[in-house]
Amino acid sequence: MSEEEKERREVGAGLMEYSPENLVPFGPVHPSLKEPEYFKLILEGEKIVEVHPRIGYVHRGIERAAQDRTWVKNIYLFERICGICSFAHSLAYTEGTESLTEFQIPVRAKYLRVLIAELERIHSHLLWLGLVGYWTGFDTLFMWIWKDREHVLDLLEAITGNRVHKSFSTLGGVRKDLTPALVSKLEEETKFITERVKYYETLVHSEETLVSRTRGVGRLTKEIAERLCPVGPLLRCSGIDRDVRKEDPYAAYEFIQPEVKTSNAGDIESLLSIRLAEVTDSCRMISEALDRLPEGPVRVPFPRIIPRGDAFFHVEAPRGELFYFIRSNGTPKPERVKIRTPTLANLLTAAEMLKGRPLADVPVVLTGIDPCFGCMDRVTVIDVDKSKKWSVSGEELRVYGIEYYRRGAGKR
Amino acid sequence: MIEEELSAMAAELSGKLSRVRKSFVLQVSPEKVKDACQHVSQLDGYYHLSTVTGADMGDKISVMYHFWKGKEFVTVEADVPKSDRHLPSISSELPSALLYEAEVKDLLGVVFDGNPLMGTRLLLPDIYPEDAPPPLTKEADPEKIRKMMELE
Repeated sequence: MSEEEKERREVGAGLMEYSPENLVPFGPVHPSLKEPEYFKLILEGEKIVEVHPRIGYVHRGIERAAQDRTWVKNIYLFERICGICSFAHSLAYTEGTESLTEFQIPVRAKYLRVLIAELERIHSHLLWLGLVGYWTGFDTLFMWIWKDREHVLDLLEAITGNRVHKSFSTLGGVRKDLTPALVSKLEEETKFITERVKYYETLVHSEETLVSRTRGVGRLTKEIAERLCPVGPLLRCSGIDRDVRKEDPYAAYEFIQPEVKTSNAGDIESLLSIRLAEVTDSCRMISEALDRLPEGPVRVPFPRIIPRGDAFFHVEAPRGELFYFIRSNGTPKPERVKIRTPTLANLLTAAEMLKGRPLADVPVVLTGIDPCFGCMDRVTVIDVDKSKKWSVSGEELRVYGIEYYRRGAGKR
Repeated sequence: MIEEELSAMAAELSGKLSRVRKSFVLQVSPEKVKDACQHVSQLDGYYHLSTVTGADMGDKISVMYHFWKGKEFVTVEADVPKSDRHLPSISSELPSALLYEAEVKDLLGVVFDGNPLMGTRLLLPDIYPEDAPPPLTKEADPEKIRKMMELE
């Protein structure tokens, strides 16, 4: 045990003497931290035996706020649920609401929605891959990938006017049309991304830093996946080929079909290859959409009042199935909108994947499910053997994980 | 054929089956929820529980369990009276419902008997007053709750 670790345990031991009321927590809600989530890990020595998540630190009551806003205003509200997959939210909400009416949306708008959704998938997956590099101590990968991701963000800005909250999809279509200059730029950039991804695909399976931290880590089986119902790449890495785009097509996905990639390995390495394959596939879908892009308007006028009824709608966000339940009571405001984001569906599975793994794997596995910014600042660690409890920040845990594997403790 | 199976199930559980565009809604009484969900999840391919939704409908709270396969959702719906907000938990059979049920409990105050997370909070902050109405119910007035929490 290093001096530093000793000190941490002694400091942590003191925590037990305070009742919870006497603790002043720094975080999980603090502007300087990344997105807050709190996991209580119960350990036996180095091994994790139990994981209890506690979420809600950034619960902003958006579902409640939506009941006081009009149908159109809610598009911009829901978009702000997530800074990474903001378009998936506005897409699910607008398409779900449109399904309550008889209005036909222009086909060109449907294609453009696919285009932006796939661009968003590329940027989200690249962002995630960069983070995996960061958490495993491969910072160069992080910098390379985030530089490539800038190309996608520039494209999104050029097409929609915004990098993050695109406000592109609206009730009745989309707000902006493509110009010929943008079409050629899109073609050029998707070629560039495809080339880069080819390089990363060889890299993630050959670079030792990454392989030692990801191969065999996690182990999600098909049986567990069927019981816990994870979504997105996490579900597909267990060998189940479910993808909302393929199974229940929305927008123009019935014309531009994705290739659903699966793997039977169920570990973090297979998540890497699935997500990279999805990036390549998204590039293909974008060029297909551009080839077949029909002419015509991109938006039709839409009523302010939505007929009474329920809509069950879901889309394949970068992280998996994003579910919207929309209930209209025939007024200018929705009666109830329920949102289930993919991370909530994946949380239990992540907890299951962590069981039996050493503490050093926590950052990689939790990032593996791609929680909106894989962050676990303020993890409480309880050691069953020593009945001691101490808190570590995500950054400390990252360094600890890298050190653990550098010492060779993680060698199999 | 899924429609036939569901209407047989509705008859057996004395529920009501209705169609909402391409989806099915199976309305049952609260005590039959567990049976209905178990039956639906055992239909071919309908094991995926998308989520559990709660909605305040005035004097009652409707709780919906959405199962998904292909192009259809099958939703099991039960209405819980506001005076007695209890439902049997399905989490022992369908563990994926654990967090979804805890979310409905936090936001609408429906207690799912048998769910191990009922004693703790998943989403609500610790300072949310115990005696305040749950935040998503129609009685909840944000201004009053802020005062109770001494934020103003």
